Amino acid sequence: MDQVILASECDVANEVICAPADVKELFEFTEPWFSIGEFHFTRTVFLIFLAAAIVIALLYVGLRKGRLVPNKFEAIMESAVTFVRDGVGKDVIGPEGGRYVPYLLALFLFILVGNLFEITPFINFPITSRMALPAFLSIVTYVIFTFLGFKENGFRYLFDTIWPKHVPIGLRWLVGIIELFSTFVLRPLTLAVRLFANMLAGHLMLTLLLGSGVIFLAAVPDIGAKALVGIPWFALGVGIFVFEIVVAVLQAYIFTLLSAVYIQSSVHFEH
Amino acid sequence: MTGDIELLKGAIALIGYGLAAVGPGIGIGIVVGNAITAMARQPEMAGTVRTTMFLGIAFTEALALIGFVLFFIA
Repeated sequence: MDQVILASECDVANEVICAPADVKELFEFTEPWFSIGEFHFTRTVFLIFLAAAIVIALLYVGLRKGRLVPNKFEAIMESAVTFVRDGVGKDVIGPEGGRYVPYLLALFLFILVGNLFEITPFINFPITSRMALPAFLSIVTYVIFTFLGFKENGFRYLFDTIWPKHVPIGLRWLVGIIELFSTFVLRPLTLAVRLFANMLAGHLMLTLLLGSGVIFLAAVPDIGAKALVGIPWFALGVGIFVFEIVVAVLQAYIFTLLSAVYIQSSVHFEH
Repeated sequence: MTGDIELLKGAIALIGYGLAAVGPGIGIGIVVGNAITAMARQPEMAGTVRTTMFLGIAFTEALALIGFVLFFIA
């Protein structure tokens, strides 16, 4: 509702563009509920813990018994694990991809639950739309694939990135600079920003459309029949709501897939 | 004069982001279109093609994402 309040504060008669004074307001910390030392507990922090708890509970309840004939819930959890193991791990990384499946599975389920908070009633906030969380997850992937690159290839990993042997000698310095920049700067940056931007855009759209719908309909006593203009906004919001389910699942999948691809490019470093 | 540019900075950043989104938009269109052609020709390869398509989209998107970041920095 913050955006709506900000919009109502602006002077429509004199200002050309009605926008929040500073877009950085979106990224400021809200007042914490309580603090323990340096740790400030806001609603987002609680949602992060809730997401982690949900993932742990799902995996524990679904896979604890390992029955030969699983019931419906266990079958769903097993198919999720199989999807990450075969569809992402072994397909992308290769036969030894099984070693990285625990990380990929945790990543996939955590981001999926965090994204689906966007459309969960009474929560309505995707934790991944705070830059800190995608940035942290992306740094973890970054550390893993850089470490693996050096572990599997030694310093050849760095030298062959800067001075690629398979490129004609006249172009090596140029390709080297581009490769260095794209591997060690753009990869983690785009990995984090992709997830963040998608979830932030979806959250803002839902807030604005559903929020303006609700505000128009609540203003029926004041403006009468003109409030009908809120109905198309609300309908569009409901349409986007369904679309956001697809985006939430797809972004979790893409983050996991790209993490696997980056790990693969470090393990099978062929330049 | 400086004050006017200060006022318009947000709008200029918006235009910059719009320009940054043109190229990746075209690129993603090409990637997805060719992936659909491949899937229609060889439906048995659909799984592999879909994975590769998402990868292609992800790499093509990078420029638009940099534009998005610059919009916030500006």
